[in-house]
Amino acid sequence: MKDLLNVSSSPHVRSKDTTAMIMYDVALALFPALVFGVYRFGFYALLVVVISAGTAVAAEYAFQAATGQRITVSDGSALVTGLLLGLNLPPEVPLWIPVMGSVFAVIFVKQLFGGLGQNFMNPALGARCFLLISFAGLMSNYPVDSVSGATPLALLRAGKEVSVRAMFMGNIPGCIGEVSTFAILLGGGYLVIKKIIPIWIPTAYLGTFVIVIFLFSERGRDIFYLAAQLCGGGLMMGAFFMATDYVTSPVTKKGQMMFGVLLGILTGVFRLSGSSTEGVSYAIILGNLTVPLIERISIPAAFGREKKRIQGENRLKIKKDAAVLCSITLIAGLILGGIYQITKIPIEKQRKETVVRTCQAVCPEGKTFEAGEQLSRALSEAASLFENGEFGSVVINQALEAKDKMGNPAGYVISVTSKDGFSGEITLMVGFSPSEPVLITGMEIVQLNETAGMGMRADEEEFKVQYKGKPASKLFLTKQLASAENEIDAISGATITSSAVNNAVNAAIYFLHTYIKAGT
Amino acid sequence: MDWTFKGGIHPYGGKKLTKESPVKELLPEGDMVYPLSQHIGAWAKALVKKGDYVKMGQQIAKAEGIVSADIVSSVSGTVKAVEERTVPSGDRVNSIVIENDGQYTPIDGLGKERDYTGLSKEEIRGLIKEAGIVGLGGAGFPAHVKLAPKNDEQIDYVIVNGAECEPYLTSGYRMMVEEPQKVIGGLNVILRLFDRARGVIAIEDNKPEAIKRIGHLVQKEGRIEVRPLKTKYPQGAERNLIYAVTGRKINSSMLPADAGCIVNNVDTVIAVYMAVCRSTPLMERTVTVTGDAVKEPGNFRVKIGTSYAQVINAAGGFKTEPEKIISGGPMMGTALYSLEVPVVKTSSAILCMTKDEVLQEEPGPCIRCGRCVKACPENLVPQRMMECVEQNNMEEFARIQGMECCECGCCTYVCPAKRPLTQAFKLAKRVIAKERRRRKEG
Repeated sequence: MKDLLNVSSSPHVRSKDTTAMIMYDVALALFPALVFGVYRFGFYALLVVVISAGTAVAAEYAFQAATGQRITVSDGSALVTGLLLGLNLPPEVPLWIPVMGSVFAVIFVKQLFGGLGQNFMNPALGARCFLLISFAGLMSNYPVDSVSGATPLALLRAGKEVSVRAMFMGNIPGCIGEVSTFAILLGGGYLVIKKIIPIWIPTAYLGTFVIVIFLFSERGRDIFYLAAQLCGGGLMMGAFFMATDYVTSPVTKKGQMMFGVLLGILTGVFRLSGSSTEGVSYAIILGNLTVPLIERISIPAAFGREKKRIQGENRLKIKKDAAVLCSITLIAGLILGGIYQITKIPIEKQRKETVVRTCQAVCPEGKTFEAGEQLSRALSEAASLFENGEFGSVVINQALEAKDKMGNPAGYVISVTSKDGFSGEITLMVGFSPSEPVLITGMEIVQLNETAGMGMRADEEEFKVQYKGKPASKLFLTKQLASAENEIDAISGATITSSAVNNAVNAAIYFLHTYIKAGT
Repeated sequence: MDWTFKGGIHPYGGKKLTKESPVKELLPEGDMVYPLSQHIGAWAKALVKKGDYVKMGQQIAKAEGIVSADIVSSVSGTVKAVEERTVPSGDRVNSIVIENDGQYTPIDGLGKERDYTGLSKEEIRGLIKEAGIVGLGGAGFPAHVKLAPKNDEQIDYVIVNGAECEPYLTSGYRMMVEEPQKVIGGLNVILRLFDRARGVIAIEDNKPEAIKRIGHLVQKEGRIEVRPLKTKYPQGAERNLIYAVTGRKINSSMLPADAGCIVNNVDTVIAVYMAVCRSTPLMERTVTVTGDAVKEPGNFRVKIGTSYAQVINAAGGFKTEPEKIISGGPMMGTALYSLEVPVVKTSSAILCMTKDEVLQEEPGPCIRCGRCVKACPENLVPQRMMECVEQNNMEEFARIQGMECCECGCCTYVCPAKRPLTQAFKLAKRVIAKERRRRKEG
């Protein structure tokens, strides 16, 4: 017999489950979403996720080695963070994006706050929001096979129809791991069945979200709209994999339900009245910040102490904390969601100033711009002009006559909106010279919601400048280098945007000739 | 549907090692050690001194104060010394050491049959007190105190705790299977004290044989029923058992009697039967000797005072070198550093393990998974309690009801980060209790 028996405090047995096993189970649950993402977006998407996960693990190792801590990368937590971040990236981001994101997630969000268990914010989401804010263009460009597309949520906001079935299966543009609701539910279901994540968070979250949309959206009574909102964006990924992150969610059942409800409200408010179509990441991060407060008010009564506990001072304290929590939700919701509404008036003022500036840009000779009686009449008759659809779905918004300093005619400015943009309307202004031969003096984009890096390039000088000096007769797009006088180089990879813009310009030219010039 | 409580865990049972092994009588050799503290409350006072001759069944120490218990010699022989000895809890306790003469000479009248129906309540309580009976489940609360609540009339349940939820332990099971009539006899004696009460024998549903045998016998008994309980640890913890059986809740500051209940473990009820009906005081108890390091795991009827080493020898000794030896079950038992400790009234088992699971994994940081919250049968938040202990914030620990912890060990068992939660809570509870006593006195 050994001289020394082991002595320790009870209990002397332990369950087989370890932190690492839980983490690897979560990683396993992410597998369906990853496989689908790679199937849909190709090998490059896999590269993005692998680099993201690899960098996260390497960053944790490097930080712990550099600060002389125990190396704990084998617990799998960094791997999960890296995987989650990678799956939350668009499929064709440059590879330095996942590298930068993972380093930020592991070192700034997690390790600097004390490492595993100490971070107050989900590292993957923290990094995603950091990337979204810093590199908005790259982070909101969702190409499929290199062709940019609007996400279903953007289409929904623009009032267009989307296919719920495609959204459920994942045949839509979006982030690598977020597109397929089916794949996410597969992994989420696995975690629920294995009791790794509490079912309360996703059910309270999604349930509250549906109620908010049902009550406050004009289309909330439409079952397909509700389903599309549920399957769209990062909601499913967020509800099953982000909101359930142990470290940044409450530990009690009551707390988990409160947390879910809070996230549902915030996401609903952000989606309905925020300036961005997505709200999940910010809702969860904001929710993470309220977790310590939720924990304080959700301590359950001990067995046999149910009656005595909620009394006197304690009761007051809980009420106070609950009030604080409610006001945080309310204020945050109002500020973040309502900011769009509040800023409407200043934006309108600015818009008017912009109109004058744009007019001057397209018609440099002009000093004042006025819609005379004759022009207004022409405008009212113009509505029927484009019914035949030659220029697609276009509307002439404004026709202005430019005068120079001396009050002499300096040309015309016509504002046109085409509804044929890739993600909704495109509004632009075209300037014309006052006398024959009529030339285009300039073209400026006023409103453009196209895909970053693709359609958005219509607002680049390189494209716009092509119109300057062109004769005011019908112009044609070409994909080769423009050689003839009436040819314009289309934006590569954004054919729809290019032709919408060109149609709008041609509509302006047509309007000019038919009404203004004909009338004078 | 079986009766149960909220929370709890399902650890590896380990009961099949000894479940089918009948209880064997173990006759000790050499010195017997009787610590003066084998119960909760004040130490007993020795009635014998060095050189005295004592008979089997003779009282050798007397209860001092209200909560205390008598001690009876389980052998005949000569008192060798009254000195400090190590007890299974690791403490050093003043003990009576008797050199066993091997004759087992009894005192007069030992073992005489007695008809309890002719006795008054006071006489029954007196017999139980003289027999030195305490709660044999592990707590060691003196039985005569427990059986004398302020008001007999308020007791409507007398519960026999046959849950035996601790893994590996089968001593209670064996006794229920082998001596069911003694269990029922003891319960009938206790029921005699409480006219309004009915008896419930609560047994976890992983012991169908015990449920069957006792169930068969109680058919004749009007006041007694068998209640199968869901198999879950800690089903046999007093507060959870009362809730499972009656739906009533008690907290740490209440006694079972406050919920109209009296709860006794199987061996205790048998001891009551033996003391009242057979004139036999508490001299022996059933001990499960088990674990993968033991050659022939089994159950033994062991005389109190026998050394642990002898009990293990009776089970064939070790087949492999043990790494950890536990007095009691794996969930709430005490790890031993020596086998030269005596079997005391509360020694329910000796568990010898070749592997120390506690050493298998190093504790890591809390990931707030909430498993401890789900497992806690007291509806506490161990995760938050641990934070309080780490920050030495005892006030907050008490505010979030940390003192309600029953130290069952569920939170520590389920913790994937292998954090020593229960250990921290035991410490915190004692620190707070000490501080409260100091304030009360000062």
